[in-house]
Amino acid sequence: MNTPTLGVSAETGLDISGVIYNYTAVKDLEDNFTVTVGNEDLDGGYIWKDTEDWSGKYGIKLRKFIPIAYTPVELFGKGSIATTGTGTVEDASVIYMYRWDLCRNAQNDESCPNYIQPLPVIPKFEIYDALEDEFVKDATKETDGVGTDKDEDTRETEEEDEEKERLEIAMAATENALTIANTASQASLLLRINNATNVSSYYVAQIQGGVYRESMTLQGGEIVDNRKALRSLGQDNLMNEMIGEQYK
Amino acid sequence: MNKLFTIALVLGLTGCSLFASKVEAGTNINGNVESRCTVNTDTAGYYGNPNAYTLTTLPASAGQVPIIRIDTSLATAYKAQISYPTSFSSSPSLGDTVVWTGTVGVDQTSSSDMSGYQAASTTADGGAMRIYPLTIAGATWFSVSSVATYGGGQQKAFPGGSYTAVVVAECIAQ
Repeated sequence: MNTPTLGVSAETGLDISGVIYNYTAVKDLEDNFTVTVGNEDLDGGYIWKDTEDWSGKYGIKLRKFIPIAYTPVELFGKGSIATTGTGTVEDASVIYMYRWDLCRNAQNDESCPNYIQPLPVIPKFEIYDALEDEFVKDATKETDGVGTDKDEDTRETEEEDEEKERLEIAMAATENALTIANTASQASLLLRINNATNVSSYYVAQIQGGVYRESMTLQGGEIVDNRKALRSLGQDNLMNEMIGEQYK
Repeated sequence: MNKLFTIALVLGLTGCSLFASKVEAGTNINGNVESRCTVNTDTAGYYGNPNAYTLTTLPASAGQVPIIRIDTSLATAYKAQISYPTSFSSSPSLGDTVVWTGTVGVDQTSSSDMSGYQAASTTADGGAMRIYPLTIAGATWFSVSSVATYGGGQQKAFPGGSYTAVVVAECIAQ
């Protein structure tokens, strides 16, 4: 029995101890009419079932208590109110009486004698296997050699185009021959024109010019070293002074 | 010899009278009978006051019909006697007549076999009392409606105050 049906949390430790049901039987005195109220047992059959035979009786409001030995709520299956014969059931309700056994689940409370530390709920992960994905399968499905109507149409169109192209080339063979001949005649004509052009004057032309020689000279003819600078750079005084600065 | 025997007989009888005095003991035998029938108020009733001269338990007039539950664990051993009120048990001083009407009916039962209780019931006390033979073991809920009209048909207004009437429900061994 699920939580919405029961009205309380259907967890381990909840036992049903009785049922109070009521309804109004609406019928004529002479009609045959039976009403059966019960809950299925998940293991088969019924956990409890109670039948009232209203045949030949006045229809009236019924309220009945059905005691049940403490039964775990997990065993309760679908509940039902079934009728046979002529009549109707109105204003029906079923109330379950229960007890809560706190220590049925030893993780519930520290006061339970057999208390154990609650174990964390391990989330269940669903591993995604791309190879099992239908969309992936569809996308990777072989398409070569598949004779779809579209492929057939495309192939036929291409063949027709090729055939048309070959026909055009064949029909244009004569014209092409003329074209080639024209091209050859034009080339020979151009060659003759070029031969007639005199380009020898370009090869014999000379540029006026000569040799540019070095004309710079050093005044005095000797470069003297700066001895003062050499003396200063040759000592470590400045370096030592700089090193000493960091310890001040 | 006879005289001596007589004296001995007299002494003997005297001795008997001295040592054989009368002893009596009274022993009680107690017993309890627990009724196999109980009467409980399931729903308390109250009067609505739809107009100045009427007190009624009808829900449509803001009243509440009292429900009485009678349980019996023994079939055909008891009868239920239920009466709707015919007087106020407490009220302001009333100088005029109050006309009482009411009904007693079976509201619901714990078995379809009790559905014939109303048809099998009888009335007494001018119709104010209804008697139900409890032929089936189980629970039966009885509803009792009550209407009090002041003025003897002249529609006089009830004096202001608190009014209480009593529904009598009994479970009597047959």
